[in-house]
Amino acid sequence: MSQRFPSPFDIDTPPGAEGWQEMYPRAWLFSEEMRSYEENKFWFYSGMHYPEPLPPLDLLVPEAGDIALGASNSRVFLTPAALGIDHRILNGYVYISGNAVSDPHHIERRADEFARRAGHYYSNWRELDRAWVNKIKATIADTQAIAVPSLPEVEPDAMVFAGASGTSVRLVEAWHRTVEAMHRGWQLHFEMMLLGYGAYMSFQQFCRGAFPEIEDQTVARMVAGLDSIIFRPDDELKRLAARAVELGLADLFIVPRQVNDLLDALNGTPAGQEWLADLEDAKEPWFNFSTGDGFYHSHASWVDDLSLPVTALRGYVERLTRGEDLSRPTATLRAERDRLTTEYRALLPSEADQTTFDSLLGLVRTVFPHVEEHKFYVEHWFNTVFRQKVREFGDLFVEHGFLRDRDDIFVLRNTEIADALIELISAWAAGGPTRGTVFWPAQAARRREILRTLRDWAPPPALGPLPDEIADPVLMMLWGITPERLREWTTPSDGHQLRGFAASPGVVEGVARVVRSVDAIDSLQSGEILVCQITAPSWAPIFPKISAAVSDIGGIMSHAAIVSREYGLPAVVGTGLATKIIKTGQRIRVDGNRGVVDILDSAATGPG
Amino acid sequence: MTPSTFIRWFDEINRSDVGDVGGKCASLGELTRMGIRVPPGFAITTAAYARYRETGRLPDEVRDELARAYAELERRCGPGNPVVAVRSSAIGEDAADASFAGQQETFLWRRGMEDVAAHVVRCWDSLFSPQAVAYRVNRVTSSETPQMSVAVQQMVDADVAGVLFTLSPATGDRSVIAINAAWGLGEGVVGGHITPDEYWVDKVSMRLKSRTVVDKPRQVKPDRANGGTANVDVPPEQRAQACLSDLEALELAQLGKVVEQHYGSPQDVEWAIAGGVLYVLQSRPETVWTQRQRSQTQTTTPSAVDFVLRTMGARPPSSSASS
Repeated sequence: MSQRFPSPFDIDTPPGAEGWQEMYPRAWLFSEEMRSYEENKFWFYSGMHYPEPLPPLDLLVPEAGDIALGASNSRVFLTPAALGIDHRILNGYVYISGNAVSDPHHIERRADEFARRAGHYYSNWRELDRAWVNKIKATIADTQAIAVPSLPEVEPDAMVFAGASGTSVRLVEAWHRTVEAMHRGWQLHFEMMLLGYGAYMSFQQFCRGAFPEIEDQTVARMVAGLDSIIFRPDDELKRLAARAVELGLADLFIVPRQVNDLLDALNGTPAGQEWLADLEDAKEPWFNFSTGDGFYHSHASWVDDLSLPVTALRGYVERLTRGEDLSRPTATLRAERDRLTTEYRALLPSEADQTTFDSLLGLVRTVFPHVEEHKFYVEHWFNTVFRQKVREFGDLFVEHGFLRDRDDIFVLRNTEIADALIELISAWAAGGPTRGTVFWPAQAARRREILRTLRDWAPPPALGPLPDEIADPVLMMLWGITPERLREWTTPSDGHQLRGFAASPGVVEGVARVVRSVDAIDSLQSGEILVCQITAPSWAPIFPKISAAVSDIGGIMSHAAIVSREYGLPAVVGTGLATKIIKTGQRIRVDGNRGVVDILDSAATGPG
Repeated sequence: MTPSTFIRWFDEINRSDVGDVGGKCASLGELTRMGIRVPPGFAITTAAYARYRETGRLPDEVRDELARAYAELERRCGPGNPVVAVRSSAIGEDAADASFAGQQETFLWRRGMEDVAAHVVRCWDSLFSPQAVAYRVNRVTSSETPQMSVAVQQMVDADVAGVLFTLSPATGDRSVIAINAAWGLGEGVVGGHITPDEYWVDKVSMRLKSRTVVDKPRQVKPDRANGGTANVDVPPEQRAQACLSDLEALELAQLGKVVEQHYGSPQDVEWAIAGGVLYVLQSRPETVWTQRQRSQTQTTTPSAVDFVLRTMGARPPSSSASS
């Protein structure tokens, strides 16, 4: 271990962000008590999921998620050599580190249990997946059904004469149920997902054994589902666009106007009303779709902010009126998938190999839809509903002067919200004044300032000693952490070339547009190359506009990779530094075959 | 055309004729009949060699047929004495044995009936070089009368030439096609004394995987004055240039794929490009990786679930029970 990334204990707090530690639970902070453990562990920046400083309440997702992921490996399925992951936050950014089992006897004992339990899932996958969909839908419905009562001036007769729980009790219960829902949702997220990935990786390993030089994306293309519901929200937009044209409403969409003005205009005509009814049908559930990856409250969902889907709709309506065909080329993709499969199969040296290939591919195609679709159910739909519920508490706090804005609730920690709720209920019960109306608004303002400051800090890609080898396939698959990536992170770039994963084939030269957050998507011009930090699936509506995609972080199965392959766009993901090195307006060449991005000139016409 | 006793044109030959015309000619015939562009030519059969052995000199009837064939080649190639390569075509030996047995003689850039006839005889005589004789003496099969066929084939003045392998020479990966290419005739690449540019193509997606362009200071060119070939300097502006366009590399890969599919096994293919036209000069089965792979191939077929469990570090119940 000759090379080290910086020690977490040598990193300073950016001026103006003092006290950031208060935003997060104790267990998430590097500490002197744990120093010898923490300093000798390799941590990497979890920027694929958490590219920005994490608002305190958004931490509930990785907290619940990491508990579910860890327990799935360590306590539920007993994955032979892998336990869960440790997490820490440094200057607002999430770092994670995997834990492994090293004792061979221990691994062996776990292996037998794992075979029994995981084998049950693989053998009954379809049935279990159907049950899973019912469970997540029930969890979403339960979350939606949590009542967040407002505090009445006087409790109603009904409560008094029935001897029922008072509003204060129901509010405390409602918050606990909301937090519980998060754990339930994310436990479901990991119930089958890791096993699904495991099957995929086994197939990948088989293919690599037979074809040592096969590209990861080729394996992905043999497996990828073509009718995955992850494409459905975008398909719904296309359908609504076609409906608008059919109903003679195209002109209303093409003239740029505010969303509300558009809705008013539509409401004014019978055809418009018909279209709006159609929109309402599509919204549930398909507009429960985050404009990001579902990990930040600030990445609004379509259903909460119609401006993104409406912008995309406008684009689709324009293209339809020009006579373009918007449909995804699924027939071509299916034919291509079949051709790939047939040709690789034919190149296998023996019939036994071909039989294994067939049965593995069959299993992987059975399990992989879950891997693709769980994201819609949990990251998008469930998280949207969860945040809607949290915002109801935000409204309650705003009503009583504890917060200025409903979204300020997201800059408070879970336990702070429980405290604030008790303070609020106490004051309501006592009938006197409370510090809460002074303390919490100030706290929220200070938090927003800290988060803004931390946004400008550049987190190192990793911390601690560079491991001799990274062989954990889950780390590779979910986080794109490979030995090559680590080497590149420790080697300074010459500034003209970036390397990443070859995520989608093709070579394109064009003008870069660095898009740091989903709000800036509108600035993107047709034909430009998208350069972004994360690769977010709900950006799908912009993929028809761009000529290629480059991301800082992400693996071969990240959403941008999947969507780029779908649209036939070259993509290089997991470059680590693209948004920091490439400037908007620069000409770049994206080589999706080799995973290389070249910066062709240094001229930048716009803000980087 | 009158039927010949001693001459067989490539377009009349296929794989099953290997006993009369040797491996090289049989392969050229097979490729020609597949519709692949092979420079025209003919085989002088083992029967001609047998007559030569009886008489000790080029028999008149063979000479007549050879002269007629050479004239016909001129008709096929265009006016002027065609320039040809005269090569031995081994009978019943694999390539490695054949070189010891003196069946790998090659004479390039020969022109005119007399020159061609003289080199056919030199091919025949190579069977009795001291080395070849010593080799056969040590072989169990040495009691058999040695046999030989000779290929006479129009020679293209290649601008670029080389070899391609329909698998990865590095890993044996059959989804890869590797192309080696250099300026001039392919003998420098085949003989290994010229470092070629290298192109790797994905056989399934037919995309260029990599392109390695090297400095190529020397090339093999025809020696027009004396016949044969010579090593000459590459013009300075050409040395560091890629000698194939990406499109040409893909065209070559496609050709390799077709040839492999026809034979049903990995091939190594010699090729040349002259005046923008691509020719195949030879195709042989690849041996190194094909044999290694055969010994590694799995013979059991675990269920998909067992395979996945094992990959993830588990011992599946079914396999632990049987072990």
